Amino acid sequence: MKTSIRPDHRALAEALRRRVLEGPGETRQGLRQASAERAAGGPAAEAPYDDLARQIGEAAHRVTDAQVSSVLTATGSEKATFEIIAAAALGAGLLRWEQAMKVLDEVTNASA
Amino acid sequence: MRLPEIERGDGFANRLLISFISMVSGMRLPDAARVAFYHKEFFGVPVGAWTQAAMRGPSPWSVAERELMACMVAKWNTCAFCVGAHGAVAAKEMQRPPVDEVLSDFRTAPISGRLKSALAFLEVMTLRPKDLKAEHAKTALSAGVSPQALIDAIAVGALFSIVTRYANALDFAMPTPEEFERAANMLLKRGYAS
Repeated sequence: MKTSIRPDHRALAEALRRRVLEGPGETRQGLRQASAERAAGGPAAEAPYDDLARQIGEAAHRVTDAQVSSVLTATGSEKATFEIIAAAALGAGLLRWEQAMKVLDEVTNASA
Repeated sequence: MRLPEIERGDGFANRLLISFISMVSGMRLPDAARVAFYHKEFFGVPVGAWTQAAMRGPSPWSVAERELMACMVAKWNTCAFCVGAHGAVAAKEMQRPPVDEVLSDFRTAPISGRLKSALAFLEVMTLRPKDLKAEHAKTALSAGVSPQALIDAIAVGALFSIVTRYANALDFAMPTPEEFERAANMLLKRGYAS
């Protein structure tokens, strides 16, 4: 299935960021934001979220059952654990989005 | 799957939907689709909207080229599930041998120079994002990738930097090659929106 309207990637990225990191959820917004920042190479988050978020940012294929279980125990909910995983994955993706768009903007603005 | 509630579905309607789709398709619904149904308003809807736009919206890149980009980002992120899923979709559109050649070495594969240039940009973006410089964008643009095309490629790269991470963190179950083929038909027909 194809769509016909030219995508506004900046708006779609921002909508995703706002929903996951600033919208309602089972976890605190601050915890989701800290997990996203950690996965993007930012400062340590609180335990046990820090270990999982860092691992998702650096090499998600090395995430262990124990890292996910620790967060599940701390949150007491699979939905909340999913929110932390989604936020960390998003943080790593948005780091790449923002860095790539910054360098492209530098080139296109310089030639405009 | 490390979170059983995603595998089962959250709520009666989603459990029924997962069972129904699995029955009709004759295969276990892949974990990527189960995640799309789970806690949907929180994540599935906004990530699905961007993914649908990036992978199926109007673009200078064909569907096969965008699926190849997704497949390569998955390879760089060591996500076997996403390599299998998006390689299968690309193979439906452009045959299997060139997909395998791209996976082996995109620089020598039989694809356009502009796609090679976009992939070279995405490789740095994926593996060493903080090393990405204006020079990398200039190189892609001078190889014939338009600014709009590069934005579209960056969107695919960013999205699959997200998708591969939750796929790996949740430890998605690996479908068989035949199941990936069937899932590819569904992705071509239905797209990515939740």
